[in-house]
Amino acid sequence: MLVSCSADNTTIKIKGSDTEVNLAVQLAESFHSTNPGLFVSISGGGSGLGIASLMNGTADLANSSRSINDLELKLFHQRGINLDSFIFAQDAIAFVVSSSLTIDSITPAELAAILKGSLKNWSSLTGKDLPVNIYGRQSNSGTHDFVKKKLGIDFSPHAKEMNGNAQILEALKSDNSGIGYVGAGYVIHGGSKGIKVLTVYETKNSKAVSPLDAAMIAAGKYYFQRPLFQYYKTGSFEKVKPILDFEKSTSGQKIIRDAGYYPVN
Amino acid sequence: MDIKKRESLDWFFKQAFKATGLLTICMLGGIFLMLLYNSIAFAMDIKPVDFFTGYQWNPGNANGKYSILPLLVSTGLVAAGSMIIAVPLGIFTAAFLSEFAPPKLQAVLKPVIEMLAAIPSVAIGFLGIVLVGPGIAKLFGIQNGLNALNGSILLAVMALPTIITISEDAINAVPKSYREASLALGADKWTTLFKVTIPAAYPGLIAAVMLGLGRALGETMTVLMATGNAAAMPRGFLDSIRTITATVAIEMGEVPYRTTHYFALFAIAAVLFLITLSINLLGEYFANRLRKFQA
Repeated sequence: MLVSCSADNTTIKIKGSDTEVNLAVQLAESFHSTNPGLFVSISGGGSGLGIASLMNGTADLANSSRSINDLELKLFHQRGINLDSFIFAQDAIAFVVSSSLTIDSITPAELAAILKGSLKNWSSLTGKDLPVNIYGRQSNSGTHDFVKKKLGIDFSPHAKEMNGNAQILEALKSDNSGIGYVGAGYVIHGGSKGIKVLTVYETKNSKAVSPLDAAMIAAGKYYFQRPLFQYYKTGSFEKVKPILDFEKSTSGQKIIRDAGYYPVN
Repeated sequence: MDIKKRESLDWFFKQAFKATGLLTICMLGGIFLMLLYNSIAFAMDIKPVDFFTGYQWNPGNANGKYSILPLLVSTGLVAAGSMIIAVPLGIFTAAFLSEFAPPKLQAVLKPVIEMLAAIPSVAIGFLGIVLVGPGIAKLFGIQNGLNALNGSILLAVMALPTIITISEDAINAVPKSYREASLALGADKWTTLFKVTIPAAYPGLIAAVMLGLGRALGETMTVLMATGNAAAMPRGFLDSIRTITATVAIEMGEVPYRTTHYFALFAIAAVLFLITLSINLLGEYFANRLRKFQA
């Protein structure tokens, strides 16, 4: 499906974020089957690499799980390249605990204290004297990075680093003192027996928002959500338009939802 | 074929074989030099004293902590644990195979044991997650079984084929006359095994343990999957640990190119390389002593 031909107008080259690469491949595969005349080549390598490739012309579309930074923007300006961006999905991170833990919602400040290791016991939050067990992702995961940056902390050295979302959920099911974070998509599709997704509220008066609440995510109200960007040169809009259109179509949105992200309308 | 053709053919093959041999050595040298070069770049940024004495591995940001100690202790802990399990098991299995097993059973057991080496490490890691880990958690009444003990058990399984095969060779290589002399003096089979055969096979057994240990130290996927990967200094076998191999595997993927963190990964890899190299050399040394002793 993914044929990378020489530079021509029938191949759209997409590079960038490793977080999005699986989703991008699924989108490209079904895009190609509906548009057999157009080929899409996908590669990962990180958001930074994608943007750099866009600049030097080796990519038509750069996937990025962060917005472009000033330094990169300046480089594009120096070369006289105009950029446009498209948010094709929203990623939300869910904080999950065992369902036997008597806590339903949490603030970012409390999460920060737990994850950096300064709050080692559940007693102040739940009244139960249980040691906190942290299950996180490995440091090469975009989710790990996002949580770390959003909270502005370093993770506790006692935090376990698991291989993937599924392993975190598996561990939390049997550990009544654990807390972990996973992409919201992994808790939507069932497997939620024995675990509980925490809602997050920022201040005492604000409403606690669940990462599973699609309407709130669409409104940008959940604290741990991030847009997934696609950057392209303004001049090559016509070339990338078919795939952007596909991402907005119902079948594209279904793929995005199945991959565990929230499509943007 | 005329003589000239034969000679040139002979010369050609000689050079070709020499080249392949030298290529292997060059690869080893190249890997070592690359590790060394990057480690030196790391030593420019972080004082070696901090590298070997600190208490925390928390790289990546401006004031990151680069101490190999918790990783080294983790690696040592899990490897030592695996040897505690695998050495008695391996040597006794080897002794049984070469001394007591009837030939029919031997013919079945040996290939089965060697098959153990063919199981991919990722499959063993998977077993650690779904089987050994929960078992440990239940047995010790702890929240989670992803810890050093889990890794040790899995690594023991992986090191067993190496240990058994080499130990068996060593025990087999003990001259028959030794056993006959012992038996003739009235010793029974067990006394002969423990007092004569095993001591005589000692260098070979040490070689077996060393090569098994080398295998356990360098194993990546299994420990990455099964030991929890918490970079804190471990306090015991029931703590989650993060080995050197797992750290390199996890962090290499996203590390910014040519930063302190990047060089740090080479530095810890170099330390691991030196450790496994010396253990393998030691193993080879003992294996050679065995050969001389037999000759």
